Amino acid sequence: MTSLRYIGSRLAQLLFVLWAVATILFLLFRLMPGNPLAAYIDPTFTEEQQAALMARFGLDRPLWEQYFIYLANLLQGDLGQSFFYREPVGERVLALLPNTLVLTFTSLILAYSFGIVVGAYLAWTRGSIVERATIPLVLTTRAMPEFWLGMILLAVFSFSLGWFPAGGTRPPGSEYGSLLALYTSYDFLLHLTLPALTLAIYSLGLPLLLMRSNMLDVMAEDFVTMARIKGLSTWTVVVRHAARNALLPVTTSFAISVGYQIQGNVVVETVFSWPGLGRELVKAVSASDYPLAQGAFLMIALVVVIMNLIADLLYGVLDPRVSHA
Amino acid sequence: MAGLAIYLVFVFIAVFADQIATHNPTEILFTPDYDLASDIPPGQDGFILGTTSLGRDIFSQLVYGTQSALLIGLTAATMVAVIGTLVGLVAGYFGGVVDVILMRLADIAFGIPFLPFVIVLAAFLEPSIWNVVLAMALVLWRDSGRVIRSQVLTLRTRGYVEAARVAGSSDAKIVFRHIAPNVLPLSFLYGSIAIGWAILTEASISFLGFGDPETISWGTMLQDAYASQALSRGAYYWFIPPGICIILVVVAGFFISRGYEEILFPKLKS
Amino acid sequence: MSGEPLLSVSGLKVSYGMPHGRVTAVDDATFEVPRGAIVGVVGESGCGKTTVARALTRVMAGNARIDGGTARFDGPDILALSERAMNRLRWRDIAFIPQSAMNSLDPVYTVRAQLREVLRKRGGHSARSAEARAVELFEMVGIEAGRLSDYPHQFSGGMRQRAAIALALALEPKLVIADEPVTALDVIVQRQILDQLKTLQERLGLSVILVTHDISVVAYVCDRVVVMYAGRVAESGAMRTVLTEPQHPYTMGLCNAFPDLSGAMGILTPIEGSPPDLSDPPPACRFEPRCPFSLASCGERTPRLSTTDVSHRVACHRAGEAAELRGDAAKVETWAALA
Repeated sequence: MTSLRYIGSRLAQLLFVLWAVATILFLLFRLMPGNPLAAYIDPTFTEEQQAALMARFGLDRPLWEQYFIYLANLLQGDLGQSFFYREPVGERVLALLPNTLVLTFTSLILAYSFGIVVGAYLAWTRGSIVERATIPLVLTTRAMPEFWLGMILLAVFSFSLGWFPAGGTRPPGSEYGSLLALYTSYDFLLHLTLPALTLAIYSLGLPLLLMRSNMLDVMAEDFVTMARIKGLSTWTVVVRHAARNALLPVTTSFAISVGYQIQGNVVVETVFSWPGLGRELVKAVSASDYPLAQGAFLMIALVVVIMNLIADLLYGVLDPRVSHA
Repeated sequence: MAGLAIYLVFVFIAVFADQIATHNPTEILFTPDYDLASDIPPGQDGFILGTTSLGRDIFSQLVYGTQSALLIGLTAATMVAVIGTLVGLVAGYFGGVVDVILMRLADIAFGIPFLPFVIVLAAFLEPSIWNVVLAMALVLWRDSGRVIRSQVLTLRTRGYVEAARVAGSSDAKIVFRHIAPNVLPLSFLYGSIAIGWAILTEASISFLGFGDPETISWGTMLQDAYASQALSRGAYYWFIPPGICIILVVVAGFFISRGYEEILFPKLKS
Repeated sequence: MSGEPLLSVSGLKVSYGMPHGRVTAVDDATFEVPRGAIVGVVGESGCGKTTVARALTRVMAGNARIDGGTARFDGPDILALSERAMNRLRWRDIAFIPQSAMNSLDPVYTVRAQLREVLRKRGGHSARSAEARAVELFEMVGIEAGRLSDYPHQFSGGMRQRAAIALALALEPKLVIADEPVTALDVIVQRQILDQLKTLQERLGLSVILVTHDISVVAYVCDRVVVMYAGRVAESGAMRTVLTEPQHPYTMGLCNAFPDLSGAMGILTPIEGSPPDLSDPPPACRFEPRCPFSLASCGERTPRLSTTDVSHRVACHRAGEAAELRGDAAKVETWAALA
């Protein structure tokens, strides 16, 4: 009962945050200096044509009325029309979302699998040369501009060695029947490798260091000592007891990382010309395509708040001390 | 110590940039044969790190980039630390409606995707390196604010604070005399991490083309290199050095206030 | 309680690596554990009793090292065994009951899972026989089998300690080492757990080493007792003899400090001072600075554990005068004079 109430209150909070973000965005874009349609309006347009356009986008109404129309439209999933593409923003954003999600999840799964194993290993071999060499390296990945890493990988593996394509998701001119067909193709894998690797290296630090510090804590716990006194194998002690306990907060951090990564994707998608939400946002802002920028931003914000919520709930589900209270 | 040493070196470079730089970083240079000095490899014709495609000296740009990096890093760090500390102190000490409002604002700030927000803000305002600082001040106080608030909540129940209250000290006096000094290490910690954040964010924003084209920064250098096909030409001397400088400054920031402990021993729940 | 002892420890020496050098926490510890007996190892905190217990499992802190001695367990010297051979012995022959069952049970597994783990991985049980044995063990320690599906945090302190006993008895070991098994519990529960332990020990013919700081626990369940002071054995022997006719001044003081054992007078006299710093111990007898009966020679020659009477050993130069000293030791003034 209490957990249901908790989920309820967290959901209410989520809606509140989304509303606030949407409002901030509305104000930002409407209060922006200059005519929001500047990019849309051809200099040859007559006064009447301009006025008609203003009316079509609802820009001739008072601000508060625009705001309620905006909110009402948002509730129906209507994100408006893109100035540039002259098509519904919602459709465009939804079409790009899978690309961003595939890139994000691939890189994070890579980072977490590797980070968890290496983090546990580093904790187990505390004080070794390997550990002393790895820690500064990991700190460096945390201090690195991710797009710069992408640039280096691009220069080396794409331009210099020619192993991987320089950008996009598929060879020019190729067509695939469905998203699934695209995502399972070898070409896609080739295109995915460098951007996913860039993001994976960049996001490796959190799971690795989190796992390491949790392992160090857990290994000092009595139950790990007891597992050794029980004569259980090193594997059982380290993996089944120490790592299993250390893993709880790391798993939770995965959801937070998804939310975090999706905003950081912006630069890496741009470096690799990856047709995702982040790159679209950059393009839309550059082209003053405000409805599209707004839509992409809201979609990213939605992923962020949902992932934060999942992280919260996951913590309760995974830890029996919380879920079986 | 290593962190401090790196900082001193960079501060030195920033202060004496005029003396250290071999050329004007924005000047278009020519070779002795009066050709445009474009894409000259390192070491040739007195260009330590070579030149850009537009004939500008990379080493001098790197030197001047230090100025903007430190400027952004330190101001942003100060903003984040000051705002976060104030929010934490006020929310934690006074509680009630103020606390609820501030913490709901923090929730909202947690829902705002940071980099996209900076991009939108940069497009809304004139291109300037201060956009990054402004965006950080508007959004990134959330982490330090929350942590400091919970610290204040525990401090508030300590004996000496209770005693001061019973003795009739004013709220302002209790907050600034008795509580604030105890949360300063936390403010400092978050500030030092924010230095790195600010420099990385500025680099990203400049790279995406929303920076101030008039200001030389490591981010604009990387953007210039990317846009000028330095990658396909293998002009590593152009885009490797700015990245290394960024890494050095950010890592030094981690080390300076032992912020690396926060990073080496992350805790999800405080 | 006859024949060869199950375990005989001799000259055990354990040290810890500290920033300023090695500190010897257990020095020349010698005692026996007869078959089917409960042997109490008693002393103040820091006297090395827990270190002895852990040394016998050979699972110790990273900075601990066994520097010498032998521990013959049913024949072989377990301190000399290879790690592989030792690991075969662990839990099947030597089990352990920790002080805090809360921290020593893994929080993310059910109690059943933790019982099954040792039964299957260490005891070679099948899935089915492990389940049957788990139910049997829970009935043995007096917990409903239904609670097997609970997580450790859902148990009360007493239940957790019972679960720890069930876990220790799972593979029918010959020796159970219990390190302060009831310290964290309230007095009533302490008694229930001790009764249970005693009953099971008698029924299964177990040998038990019971480490405690509480001499009333020793008096309640132990057959024999080993009194430790500052890393060394001060006195050992049959529980009743040692507690009623102590020969070491430390034991006399210890008995004084516990109301229910100090006899008809009911005086409660603490031993003045505190145990020595083991990084810089007194040169000879370690109790000498706190001992009301110390002579000049006590600061010069280290008293060795007597070997004349194996059933009651004592490490004191004045052991021969014990009967007279006991009279003085019962008086408050004797101990107060040192303050």
